[in-house]
Amino acid sequence: MTDVAQPVWIDPTDCHYPEHPAREAATNPYLPHQVTWNETRAFKPAMHPVGRLRYYYKWPGHGGRVWWRKRYWPTRRRVLQIRGEYNPKTMRREKTIVDKRPIWWTLAFIAMILAPAVVPAAGWNTVMSAAAVFGIYAAINLCWMLIIGTAGIFSLASYAVVGAAAYGTTYLAIQLGLPWWLLPLIGALIGLAFGLIIGLPAMRLDGFYYALLTLGVVELCRVYVVQSREFGSATGGLYGAPSYLPANLGQMPRLLFSYYAALALMAFALVVYRFIDGKRLGRVLRMAPEKREAFAQACGVDFVRARIMVFLISSTALGLIGGFYACHFGGASPNLFSFDTVLLSLAMLVIGGIGRSEGAVAGTAIVVFIDRVLIDLGPLRYMLIGAIMLGVVLFLREGLFGIKRQFRTWRDKKKSERRAARAEKGGEMLPEEATETEDKDLIYFRRFDKMQRDFLKRLVTETVIEEHRTRPLGQHSEALERLLIYFRRQGQVDKYAIMVLEEFRAYRIVALSGHRGTAPRVVEDRNYASPDEAYHALFLRRVQDLLES
Amino acid sequence: MNWSFVLSNATTLACIYGTLAIGISLTWSSLGLVNMAFGFIFALSGYGAWLASLNISAQPAVVMAAGILTGAFGGLIVCLLAFIPIHDKPNFPLRALIATLAISLIGNQALLWYFGPRAKSLPKLFGNWNADIFGVIVTSDKLGASASAIVLLTLILLWMRSSRRGLEIRAMMMNPHAASIVGIGVRRTGFYVMALTGSLAGLASVLLAQTYYVAPFSGITPMVKGLSIALVGGLGSVPGAVIGAVIIGLNEALTSTLLGGQYVLITQFLLIILVLLVRPRGIAGLLDKAREA
Repeated sequence: MTDVAQPVWIDPTDCHYPEHPAREAATNPYLPHQVTWNETRAFKPAMHPVGRLRYYYKWPGHGGRVWWRKRYWPTRRRVLQIRGEYNPKTMRREKTIVDKRPIWWTLAFIAMILAPAVVPAAGWNTVMSAAAVFGIYAAINLCWMLIIGTAGIFSLASYAVVGAAAYGTTYLAIQLGLPWWLLPLIGALIGLAFGLIIGLPAMRLDGFYYALLTLGVVELCRVYVVQSREFGSATGGLYGAPSYLPANLGQMPRLLFSYYAALALMAFALVVYRFIDGKRLGRVLRMAPEKREAFAQACGVDFVRARIMVFLISSTALGLIGGFYACHFGGASPNLFSFDTVLLSLAMLVIGGIGRSEGAVAGTAIVVFIDRVLIDLGPLRYMLIGAIMLGVVLFLREGLFGIKRQFRTWRDKKKSERRAARAEKGGEMLPEEATETEDKDLIYFRRFDKMQRDFLKRLVTETVIEEHRTRPLGQHSEALERLLIYFRRQGQVDKYAIMVLEEFRAYRIVALSGHRGTAPRVVEDRNYASPDEAYHALFLRRVQDLLES
Repeated sequence: MNWSFVLSNATTLACIYGTLAIGISLTWSSLGLVNMAFGFIFALSGYGAWLASLNISAQPAVVMAAGILTGAFGGLIVCLLAFIPIHDKPNFPLRALIATLAISLIGNQALLWYFGPRAKSLPKLFGNWNADIFGVIVTSDKLGASASAIVLLTLILLWMRSSRRGLEIRAMMMNPHAASIVGIGVRRTGFYVMALTGSLAGLASVLLAQTYYVAPFSGITPMVKGLSIALVGGLGSVPGAVIGAVIIGLNEALTSTLLGGQYVLITQFLLIILVLLVRPRGIAGLLDKAREA
């Protein structure tokens, strides 16, 4: 809009003298008033993308019908936790799904049930046996997650329980010729006994002492099994347990059947997880996180008992899984006790995030996929798993499923850093305050006021003050007039008034407090001889207040 | 029943396991880190010593120095990966435990990948002779292992006692927070400690390779033993680690003579559990002075 090149003025009267060339002179560039207007009105503060956003989808509310509140039968929980609220803009009823995890779980289960349909025929054997292993490992990891996450006992011996149950049931089945359906039950008994034995020291030891001890117990089991003759030191494992698969089944249906059985086992472990972690026991334990145990104990929360209970229940479940393991694989191998198994399954827990069931299942899926499906990689696949585990531990707080929360924490930190870095505020609202202010007019008024004051500050010059001193009342220049209009209309820091001490002799400036019965406050210890002087002094005070704001 | 044989065995085992246990115990008490990658460092330094004996020279001093230096290098790797990035982040002990486990997984598999599963054997460092001490026939490797372990451990403990760096490490063991306040750099001390404990693992590896072999997973059993000895002695106490090593070594020698080799771990763990039930922080550990990192 502005003409950058300096325009040239041509004398219009030179047309009367065509024999001379026209006279020319350089002139000031023409500046349209629109530019000044736009520049003044432009929104200058740097706006950063901050403020709180709600990423909930709002479902439409009901019409006249009462809400459908279906509950799970033995509990008092609803299928979905739905919050109802009014939209303040449209004044309509809206529904918000607060916790969408049940939806994800349902979708995941449907996907798992339908998964065999999409497995390519070439890799059917590998993938389906890996999927069955995934079901069993996920079940074990869920029970282990109860011990590590919910009970807070850092036990590394859960595979020792599984292995002991698997070995014990296989041994008994071979010796006594038991049917397959008895194996998980016997396994549960063995698991309970094992849990009692290794749970006892847990009452006295804490944290790492117990972790190291249980690591030793696993090593002990491995060495015992490898060396003992009746547990198959010669054959590298104990085999010969009855299988739950019907005898007259082809290869493909066999794998399919075992996959669904393992999936059912995982569902069972999920139910156990849900009924411990979400119920009284788990809640008691989550109320007493580490280092606040003494406080919880003093408040009457018997968390030691709760811990032992959780430990025993999950040991029993682990034993049951061990019995299932024995009839799934037809026996047990010393691999169950190896340091690598403990490591890999710890990797499963850690990758998903310790303390959440979806973490256990997703971590198991990732690790089992790398371990069992990408067999061609050789030892590289363990290095890959280890690298993922290391990355998760170094960079994430709570595994994959904690990323969302970690990101939000980081974003909030960045937000507050930005807020702290902003030097200029001047009555304007910060974005965070603005989003929480109901009256949006207030935000715009504050911003307008700030702009106006910034503009008026530029008008305060020596000449304006001199003009006011000579002519406090009467005809004013535009700058002074604007200042005076602003002072007249604006709320003031102090409500100033001129007090007449003696007519035409002494005047003084006071400030009114605004409270009835309180005497006016004397602002300065000075008397003025004429009303005009007092007037000017008051003007100077207001100018000072403006410049300081 | 040959008591002298039992005694000499017990001494050798106690020396080697004591070296490991002191390394683990030092790391835990000064850095608050349970170094689960100790087994990896052990195996790595075994391979380092083996490579040195092949490529440089089979001199005992060279082999041992190569093992110790490789161990220190492994310790530095663990420090860089598992201590420096997370030591000031929340929930450090657990994350450090898992990180060192991950390092151990990666490292052991890398060793397996690079060197193959076949075990290697180091050259005999101490020759092949027998000594008769007060009527007890002691073979050269046992005597050499015990002597070198005792000499080097004494040197290290003297260094810990008298040098500036040792003073820093001991300050970190007493109170890491106060140590950092008076200007002892946590990261720098971490490097010293990890190099020191790694070289202890390297020493133990070279000494143990006189009787066993060097293999990718050869470090796990010694690490578990070292951990349990450190547990019995009390994590963070050097005299406790020595006492624990003596007890466990004696137990191992006695059990393998009286009952048979396959019962060693069982009696050992029964012993450890018994000790820990009586004293939850180990023999020399104080109940109220557990390190809360």
